[in-house]
Amino acid sequence: MSAQKKRNFKIEAFKHRVELDPNYAERTWKVLEHAIHEIYNHNASGLSFEELYRNAYNMVLHKYGEKLYTGLVNTMTGHLKEIARSIEAAQGDFFLEELNVKWGDHNKALQMIRDILMYMDRTFVHSSHKTPVHELGLNIWRDNIIHSSKIQTRLLDMLLDLIHRERTGEVINRGLMRNITKMLMDLGSSVYQEDFEKPFLEVSASFYSVESQQLIECCDCGEYLRKAERRLSEEIERVSHYLDVKSEVKITSVVEGEMIANHMQRLVHMENSGLVSVLVDDKYEDLSRMYNLFRRVPNGLSTIKDVMNSHLRETGKQLVSDPEKLKDPVDFVQNLLNEKDKYDKIISKAFNNDKTFQNALNSSFEYFINLNNRSPEFISLYVDDKLRKGLKGVSEEDVEVVLDKVMMLFRYLQEKDVFEKYYKQHLAKRLLSGKSVSDDTERSMIVKLKTECGYQFTSKLEGMFTDMKTSVDTMQGFYASQYSEIGDGPTLAVQVLTTGSWPTQPNAPCNLPAEIHVICEKFRTYYLGTHTGRRLTWQTNMGTADIKATFGMGQKHELNVSTYQMCILMLFNSVDRLTYGEIEQATEIPPSDLKRCLQSLACVKGKNVLRKEPMSKDIAEDDAFYFNDKFTSKFIKVKIGTVAAQKESEPEKQETRQRVEEDRKPQIEAAIVRIMKSRRVLDHNTIVTEVTSQLQSRFLPNPVVIKKRIESLIEREFLERDKADRKLYRYLA
Amino acid sequence: MASRRGRIRFNVGGKIFETTATTLANAGRHSMLGALLDDSWNPRQPAEGEAAEAEYFIDRNPACFAVLLDLLRTGELHVPPNMPEKLLNREALFYGLLDQVRAARWGPFDGNRLQLVDSVSGRAPGDGTAIRAGPDGGCCVAHGSMVHVYDWMLEEHRPISLDYQQVNDVGYIDAESIVISARERLGKGDGGMGVFSSSTGELRHRFRVSHYDQVKSFTAGALSLGSSDYKIFASCKGRCNEYGIGVWDQITGQQVDFFYEPPGCCLGDADKLQWLDGDKCLMVATLFPRTDNCFIGLLDFRDKSVIWSWSDAGTSVSLSLDEKRVLHAIAIEDSRSICVVNQYDDLGFIDLRSNAGGVRWSSRSKLTNRKAPNEESCYPKLATHDGQLFSSMNDGISVFCGPEWVLTSTLRRSYGGSICDFSIGGDRLFALHSEENVFDVWETPPSPII
Repeated sequence: MSAQKKRNFKIEAFKHRVELDPNYAERTWKVLEHAIHEIYNHNASGLSFEELYRNAYNMVLHKYGEKLYTGLVNTMTGHLKEIARSIEAAQGDFFLEELNVKWGDHNKALQMIRDILMYMDRTFVHSSHKTPVHELGLNIWRDNIIHSSKIQTRLLDMLLDLIHRERTGEVINRGLMRNITKMLMDLGSSVYQEDFEKPFLEVSASFYSVESQQLIECCDCGEYLRKAERRLSEEIERVSHYLDVKSEVKITSVVEGEMIANHMQRLVHMENSGLVSVLVDDKYEDLSRMYNLFRRVPNGLSTIKDVMNSHLRETGKQLVSDPEKLKDPVDFVQNLLNEKDKYDKIISKAFNNDKTFQNALNSSFEYFINLNNRSPEFISLYVDDKLRKGLKGVSEEDVEVVLDKVMMLFRYLQEKDVFEKYYKQHLAKRLLSGKSVSDDTERSMIVKLKTECGYQFTSKLEGMFTDMKTSVDTMQGFYASQYSEIGDGPTLAVQVLTTGSWPTQPNAPCNLPAEIHVICEKFRTYYLGTHTGRRLTWQTNMGTADIKATFGMGQKHELNVSTYQMCILMLFNSVDRLTYGEIEQATEIPPSDLKRCLQSLACVKGKNVLRKEPMSKDIAEDDAFYFNDKFTSKFIKVKIGTVAAQKESEPEKQETRQRVEEDRKPQIEAAIVRIMKSRRVLDHNTIVTEVTSQLQSRFLPNPVVIKKRIESLIEREFLERDKADRKLYRYLA
Repeated sequence: MASRRGRIRFNVGGKIFETTATTLANAGRHSMLGALLDDSWNPRQPAEGEAAEAEYFIDRNPACFAVLLDLLRTGELHVPPNMPEKLLNREALFYGLLDQVRAARWGPFDGNRLQLVDSVSGRAPGDGTAIRAGPDGGCCVAHGSMVHVYDWMLEEHRPISLDYQQVNDVGYIDAESIVISARERLGKGDGGMGVFSSSTGELRHRFRVSHYDQVKSFTAGALSLGSSDYKIFASCKGRCNEYGIGVWDQITGQQVDFFYEPPGCCLGDADKLQWLDGDKCLMVATLFPRTDNCFIGLLDFRDKSVIWSWSDAGTSVSLSLDEKRVLHAIAIEDSRSICVVNQYDDLGFIDLRSNAGGVRWSSRSKLTNRKAPNEESCYPKLATHDGQLFSSMNDGISVFCGPEWVLTSTLRRSYGGSICDFSIGGDRLFALHSEENVFDVWETPPSPII
């Protein structure tokens, strides 16, 4: 009965709608499930893609998409669990191999499964917002294999162990490593980071922490840095071989932190091999390595810079304050230049021409050069030495190079006006004695100073050159006009110097011999005749003369002497013996100069054209002088120098200082007035800073002096104090 | 199997086709044909001569396969007149070639070469509110509380609604997601805004507005979807005077900002919002008849300021018929101006560079005949696409081109009554008629053969 009823019911239903075979879905899924098994078992050759695709299509079409999808998840999970077991069973080193092989298999299978289920991926997965098949396959692999409790830690330990072994020098299978890390990356960047990268970085940090501790105990700085550099490049190479490129920054920062940043101070200050010693020994390679490594860590370069700076200041201080080294100004400056060259070379060779290092170098030089207030004088003397004619082995080109270097030192000087003072003196001497190496070189030095300090700085120096030139013209004019009258008398060369342009000298006149006096008077008449309204004074203390002398045996010599010496020698034309007093009376040369002249005429061996009674080194008031009949020399021309001090003596120095201070006063006042004129009202401190900044290019004004100048200006009613606020100054127009 | 010289033989439903591997390569690896020929499914490479006779059997319609094979060969789609489009699309989906079919169906959009390809009638009661074109050629139509969704094959999907509340505006976030703004139902917390799946119609996310850390229900009005920074803007009205513009992130769905309505500006009731990518600001237009005084402003959300605004308040003294009222507005970034339209279908332009400028009207109304006053009409709408300006009037759409906006084409169809809304997207133009519930689809045909 019941069977019949059932049949009736069936017929009833059949009339209403066509029911799909209820087993259809199950049957079709079995076919697909079987295919998935076959694919995982490497047995896919017997499968027909068209049939499988059609089956999957039909399932989706008949709304069995959900069944198909869950079936896929279950089947794949089952297979991967099995794979997990076989990977777990792998012994020792075969573990990674097995994992790699299975991963390759899974990828291939996943590709084929996705091909079959492509229609589902396109329609059902898309519209129901499920995970696409490929991604699903990766996720199931991740959850069942990589995150399986028996595999996760083992995999990580093996990877870290392999890397550790490679770090200690063993050769490992990099291809396998690359495949495994590639797998972790394929599974998503978070898997790579969490399951590998993070622990990898931690292990690396502790490895390098231990290694750096050991190395620093037994290596010197250079060796340590060589090893650190090698480690760093090893890690970079490792990343390029089998890690994610994004890991490079992270692992290098670990190495940098552990090996460099943590030991920075100790490395730099290491005895006998630290920064100071490599600087002293010019070890460019070590320096460059240190620079490149320290650059990678925060504060690395500033550490190097600070140490270099303090070392440089220390050595510089010794250079400028060592009394032994102050004896010879030329050596003094040469030492400075050598030091500068040395560090320039270090910065360009090892420090990549780093600007901050150059600045540090400059500030250090500025610091210690100005520690010694004789630096301006010495630098000028050094230039004088280089620009003097007749120095052996110095060509014009070489001089030019030297001058450029000197300018560098010049820039560091704070008291540029002091330098100017000395330079003027030295230049005057060079010009008047005609000992300048060449006009061009002199001028190029002036141009350099001009570009550095402006027109004002050099206008007087240029005036000196102009004077020299016009003097030559004047002399030509003089001889052209007076040719007939002069006849056979002595030849006169006059240099007309503009007062003010030249360093002022105490005017110490002397009685010129009659022959000379006559021709001098002729020149005076000529000059005043051509230039009206001028005054001419003779600076006899600065001239030179060439005189011809005949001695006892009839030998003739040409003596090159100063004007004073000439006056003395001319006296002996008429007599053979003169006392000191007689000479002083006849010439009226100031006693200090006279003594110096007589000393050089009578006491210098080989040049003693006079004989002194009694024979002694020093000149006394009651000495007598004879014409030295027996004077001989192998040269026709004999140059009798004056005993002249190159370096300034202590009182001279004081005098120059004082003159400089005197010259500064109007400059400071001018600056104050300029500033107040534009600002009208200012407080004291602002004026001081503004004045300082305005005058910085010439010298560093002392605040006390500025204060004095302000007071003086108030007295002279250029400024007044504000009535309400005594700190304020007010400009009075 | 791939025989010599790359020839491949298919047997599709009993009919033999021969083609080459290079032709099939056009299908791509991620298609059924691509997978079929892939090495992983053909493990044994054919030995000499042995497999040359073999063929791939596919149990499908041979006629459709012929059309699709032709598409792969030439890149063009020619459907025989007796073949239903639906049939072809189904077969294309089977082979994974639907994207290729769509790409070959119509060409890049050009307002002057449009052809009417279809008219689709709906069965919704009442007038349509809005029609929006999707990025892939589909569209959706809002009627009352329902939104009807059509894919690019113009097949209707499940209609969507937000708690059956009156829909004010709709927009596509992408081809898969549609956002709806709807009226709030008093006291129920319904309405507001939601994102729906365009294919299944399910609600995926509901947008919230919170004022001072308190979530409040709201009525959402006009929508704008910023394309460059993935934001959604909507005009919002709360019941406690929380009027303004809400901003949400398209990806997270979270509220990121709220621009409260400053005095003198109507933001919560806006008719149109438009995000200007170049200026990084939002145009808000609140127009007649929603308000008596039209207001158009540009909002900068970074410092919450109205950087530019225009209003006809003060200029309109009497409500005479002849007066020109701004009924729709659209910003044209390239020409630094806002284009507006009035009840006579006159176009006007407001310069964005000066703040106090007026509307420069063009005098087109003299050329076109004015409507009979009692004919039921719709308010005109404006749209731009690729340097072309579109304006709907009565039952037609005018196309304007060039720097002077010269009228170049008119799109008109004989029935359906006047156009209440139109939209351009996915290289198609959709126009919704008000009298009969029907919308038209306009496409540019593929490029000529030569």
